[in-house]
Amino acid sequence: MNKNQSSYMNPYLAGFLLGMVLLASFVITGRGLGASGAAKSLVLSVVGSSAPEYASSSAFYADFFSGTGPMSSWIVFLTAGLILGGFLSGALGSRLGFKTERGPRIRVAARLWFALAGGLLFGLGAQFARGCTSGAALSGMAVLSTGGMLTMAMIFGTGYLIAYFFRKLWI
Amino acid sequence: MAPLIPQGIINPELNLFFALMLGVGFGYVLEQAGLSSAQKLAGVFYGYDFVVLRVFFTAGITAMTGLLFMNYLGWIDMGLVYINPTFLYSAITGGAIMGFGFILGGYCPGTGIVAAVTGKIDAMLFVLGILIGIFIFGHFFEAFDGLYTGHFLGNIFVYDSIGISRSWFAVLLIAVAITAFIITQMIEDRVNRAEASLISSRPSYFMPSFLILALGIIYLFLPPERASSFREKPPEKIWENVIAGKHMVCPLKVVNQIKNGQDQLKLIDVRSHEEFGEFSLPGAVNIPVEEVLNSRWREFFRNGKREKVFFGNGAGKAAEAYITASRAGYERVFILEGGLNRLFTEVFTDEGIFDTDNRKQARQFFLDGGVKR
Repeated sequence: MNKNQSSYMNPYLAGFLLGMVLLASFVITGRGLGASGAAKSLVLSVVGSSAPEYASSSAFYADFFSGTGPMSSWIVFLTAGLILGGFLSGALGSRLGFKTERGPRIRVAARLWFALAGGLLFGLGAQFARGCTSGAALSGMAVLSTGGMLTMAMIFGTGYLIAYFFRKLWI
Repeated sequence: MAPLIPQGIINPELNLFFALMLGVGFGYVLEQAGLSSAQKLAGVFYGYDFVVLRVFFTAGITAMTGLLFMNYLGWIDMGLVYINPTFLYSAITGGAIMGFGFILGGYCPGTGIVAAVTGKIDAMLFVLGILIGIFIFGHFFEAFDGLYTGHFLGNIFVYDSIGISRSWFAVLLIAVAITAFIITQMIEDRVNRAEASLISSRPSYFMPSFLILALGIIYLFLPPERASSFREKPPEKIWENVIAGKHMVCPLKVVNQIKNGQDQLKLIDVRSHEEFGEFSLPGAVNIPVEEVLNSRWREFFRNGKREKVFFGNGAGKAAEAYITASRAGYERVFILEGGLNRLFTEVFTDEGIFDTDNRKQARQFFLDGGVKR
């Protein structure tokens, strides 16, 4: 991994470029970036079309049944771009390939279970916070929203608070 | 004037194309920065790699500074930009849950998706987990409703919540970011001291950080927005307009617009909030005459290319609003000739302009109940 490190972009340059992408998003469309929104659209679509009876009984799925359909929305195209851009960059940097990222002291199977659990919590938390690290924390910070910055502080604050107890996962 | 799509400068049909392009940029930068690696991401919590903090904080203050300057120069109408609403305990709870998710999973949704498409198997499970988490939220949606929609504080800004000025908050945030860059570099050096090669190739933060700090300080010392943009119009000029009758808009023009559902004219109801609450013209905004100079409407008046038409019951209040706004240098403001009274007694016919309820109320108000003024 250390060999690759030099081939990554300077993080401050990357941050600046990401900031410009975010700024461009505000200038062009009036909203910031997001990643968990498309996951919600996917859940709405899959559940809404495979179990319409279940979905129609819940207010959470109301968007699915109203008009345009959630999959055609802005956030879905943004995420399609995210996938394309990530793949493109990985291909250009010769970083494509199947592997499991894990700390030195954890077995692969355990790592995969923890990844699943982490995703589950992130998906759940992003619903409460109305956005994830991108949509609530980063975009919220750019417009100086109280809610967004509060969410950001909670994500990283909680992370630091509990990091010690989960250190075997990573170091 | 930005934002380009909500202002109608770029065709809304291109919205999805831009979404795709912005997404490509987003994904490309995340992957280039190395954020598709859970081990690098988790490093921020254990001190061996602060790449997340560097990228995240730099991006945040860059976009923030850009927006502040664009807003200052009148290039972007922040009234049309999405400000994340603040639902107090929902935001706190969600953030805390995501903190657990970050430590356990090693990714956040954006980086997890990028990692998954570059082949990280753990990230694929992380993304699957996100979908399950969202499904769980949906399943218990009604049970969560109180927390989710409770304590709504509005689309509030963090500097107002803390009680300091926007420019000071921006400068403080930039200073905090730079301090964090310096301290985390020291921590990282110490944690990784065995690997000297890493230390020698560490990225320099001085140029970008101090450039942005300089911008922040410039922003701090810019003259207040009001003073810089307050181009008072000479009374003679307004008088000329009034004499020439250029300040009036014919009621028929307004009726046509309402009938056809167009919106070239922005209608401004200058009556009180109570009167506005009873009924108003379709598409009108309520700015009581006392609030015309209120700073929150400054953007509204200064931006946008539409003609703004004041109306009240008669012409009195609208004229006051017109003179106040004109003197303040707001361009393209007008008065609805004769006000609502004339509109209802002379111009409106029986054709259905309003929906029935609205119309009945309006009729009562003007014809049956007696016309005011």
